[in-house]
Amino acid sequence: MNKLTDSLRNNKSYLTSLVLSIVAALLIGAVLMLVTGYNPVEGYAAMLKGVFGNSRVFGNTLAKMLTLCLTGLAMAVCSKAGMFNVGGEGQLFLGGLAATMTGVYLQGVSPLIAVPLAFLSAAVVGGFYAWIPAVLKVKLNVSEVITTIMLNSVAIYFCSYLTNSSGPLRTDDKGVLGGTEAVPDAFMFDQLIPRSNLSTAIIYSAAIAFICWYVMKKTSVGLEMKVTGENPRFAFFSGLKKDNIMIWAMIASGAICGLVGMFEVYGYQQRFLDSISNEFYYDGMLVAMIMNYSPLGIILMSFFFAVIDIGAGAMELSVGISGELSDIIFAIIIFLMAAEGGIRKYLNEKKIQKKAREELELRKEAK
Amino acid sequence: MQESIVRFENISMQFPGVLANDDVSFDIKKGEVFALVGENGAGKSTLMNILYGINKPTSGNVYIKGQKVEKFSPSDAISHGVGMVHQHFMLVPSFTVAQNIVMSKEPRKYGIFYNLKEANNITRRLVEEYGLEVEAEDTVEEISVGLQQRVEILKTLYRGADVLILDEPTAVLTPQETEELFQVIRKIVEEKQMTVIIITHKLYEVMAISDRVGVMRQGKLVGVEETKNVNERILASMMVGREVLFDDIEKTGEPGEVQIKADNLYVADNRGLMAVNGVSLEVRAGEVLGIAAIEGNGQSELLEALTGMRPVQRGEFYIQGEKSNGKTPGQIRELGLAHIPEDRVATGVSLQSTITENLIIGKQRQSAFSKYKLHLKQSSVVRYAEELFEKFDMRGSGIETAVGSLSGGNMQKVVVAREFSFDTPILIIAQPTRGVDIGAIEFIHKQIIKKRNEGCAVLLASADLDEVFRLSDRIITLYEGKITGEFKAGEIDKMGISYYMTGSRDADTQKEEGGAQNE
Repeated sequence: MNKLTDSLRNNKSYLTSLVLSIVAALLIGAVLMLVTGYNPVEGYAAMLKGVFGNSRVFGNTLAKMLTLCLTGLAMAVCSKAGMFNVGGEGQLFLGGLAATMTGVYLQGVSPLIAVPLAFLSAAVVGGFYAWIPAVLKVKLNVSEVITTIMLNSVAIYFCSYLTNSSGPLRTDDKGVLGGTEAVPDAFMFDQLIPRSNLSTAIIYSAAIAFICWYVMKKTSVGLEMKVTGENPRFAFFSGLKKDNIMIWAMIASGAICGLVGMFEVYGYQQRFLDSISNEFYYDGMLVAMIMNYSPLGIILMSFFFAVIDIGAGAMELSVGISGELSDIIFAIIIFLMAAEGGIRKYLNEKKIQKKAREELELRKEAK
Repeated sequence: MQESIVRFENISMQFPGVLANDDVSFDIKKGEVFALVGENGAGKSTLMNILYGINKPTSGNVYIKGQKVEKFSPSDAISHGVGMVHQHFMLVPSFTVAQNIVMSKEPRKYGIFYNLKEANNITRRLVEEYGLEVEAEDTVEEISVGLQQRVEILKTLYRGADVLILDEPTAVLTPQETEELFQVIRKIVEEKQMTVIIITHKLYEVMAISDRVGVMRQGKLVGVEETKNVNERILASMMVGREVLFDDIEKTGEPGEVQIKADNLYVADNRGLMAVNGVSLEVRAGEVLGIAAIEGNGQSELLEALTGMRPVQRGEFYIQGEKSNGKTPGQIRELGLAHIPEDRVATGVSLQSTITENLIIGKQRQSAFSKYKLHLKQSSVVRYAEELFEKFDMRGSGIETAVGSLSGGNMQKVVVAREFSFDTPILIIAQPTRGVDIGAIEFIHKQIIKKRNEGCAVLLASADLDEVFRLSDRIITLYEGKITGEFKAGEIDKMGISYYMTGSRDADTQKEEGGAQNE
């Protein structure tokens, strides 16, 4: 209990400014609606209705949330150990493709064998694709930010080649452009809410999220990752195998991204499309960064982001307010949170200077 | 007497928890080379940062050429004619020499276009005028460090500086480059009536280049002397001496088996120059071997090598009898060694982590603290951290405080508490009490002697001679990476030992010959 209040107190100012930022962003969104001639009450009502109006749209929101949450956690896991994985998009593509092809080739095999193998292939391929930049970073000190960005393009164009016109993995099914054969129905996750995108993937996602939180917050490994991320020299000095820690954190991050790719396919798309992800990983990165890479924060924030994202689409359909509003709201929150850090630092600095002067006065008097 | 060009009047600079400058007053005269010496953390860089306008003093005044400085900013200092060459150069590596020199005051054509030709001409004129040879069109990243330093100096001269601050200018230079730098300094002082302030802790450089020298210690100015009236030994004792007298601590027991053995060890520094030149030593169980040396004479590199933090170039060393060349710090720790590093902020702690986390690192996989080496037993961890927090008398708002917000003394207690509680038979300790308040010093000293009495082999390096004398059973002196003397406790006094720490005249000439052969 004591610990809980402690951690609340530590995060209080951060949470306060987060809530204020969100409120401010929503208010600015309202002003934008007014300026463009819409009624903000109507707009936000449509947004809420588009999210909570019926079980189908709510299911879609949850499906969106789990994508954001997992990609956000993938970002948090590696940045905890001091690695900045910008390559989740590529890992997602390759993991999704690997899982799909596993399913396609294992047609007729029992799902009890095929589906776990699909999981395995997604995680291994995603993890391997993150291992490359990790090793380059650790052994040769090549910036992982650059390599992961580059490898995104490699993966995305590679997948595009495989699944388009003359690519070896393209489907002959009519009406499908840039996609593979479909995964057999028997392997697909069960729908939890009919006609929505929500499947049992949410259960697997919850398990992954729990593992991430548990490892990062409750284990010796999490502590080692934290220390390595904050001060690699100290980690080395303390006898930690910092290179291994950094590489494995990156592999874990890539594996999670690979699984996100699989969930997209096995959750509702049923086949790998070269448009499988619309920069999902970058949204997840934003969520992770706004929440300071805190696992619990990411889980909560991804729900909020999903609400705004799905809600804005509904708002556009029913009221006619442009769905781009969601991007504006996200941008304002990010902007305000970034400024918050600076403002807090400035105020802190003032406080310290004042304290220092007082201390000096006291010393003078003592003399 | 020449006129005063810079005057410090009762300067105090308070950083949170550290009084970096304490009521410092002195004058620097026009046309002199003034050396400012002191250990790391003595406050010399802080003082010069105030002169250059980077820091605003908490109290006190600075006068430049008789004018009181009202606004502390580097651009203001530059307009007063103050230039500073930082230890880490502020150059754009991909630009040419000329482009770097004219930066922020570029010559222009028609008021808007960058005039590269004129920049090259300006550079050549400056080179000619001051005799600092550099090629205007070379790219900075392709020239040597010594030349880069010249570019930095030329840059300040181009901006019209007549007071030049050099922050540890020789730290990155080879002896050859150092000699060239000194020639340049002499030239600009004699021919151009410049004033040069040089921050250093290498005393022979002070003797070689300066007219006057100011010594700082723990934020205070110990004294300002004419260089011709002092020698290295006097300066050394001014730098490291401490007035406070401590009680003796009882030492018991006899030395046992050899625990650390180094055999003709060679270790390079970050520049690739040999910092440790063939050191052999032995440390036995139940004794403290102290290393007395002025900073930068290889003691840091030696200790880092013995703990696995730095590769060994030649020679061998043994921890508990096992050859340990090429082992990682983790592997060496497993042999039974704990280490208090010289730079606690960069190496000894994780600033953003809590006290608890910093105390438990290294033990996080022990069965007492984690199930299956994985699941942390939160309550045992907290209990353990609280115990150490009490035992080592840490101050602060509890074990969940981030270590970065602690004062230097408390931070050091975190390091000492963690390393001592490994209960290893070997301790390697560097600068255990640097920047630590007197009370904490006493406490840390007692802990070290307690370890020694319990049969621990302790290798200690400290810039503080009092500390070395108080704690050591045997003392070796290092100069330029070589052992210059070995003494039993009580065999020698501080004045005597500073002779060995600074290398005698004879040792000096031998060294130069040896250096020439190595090259």
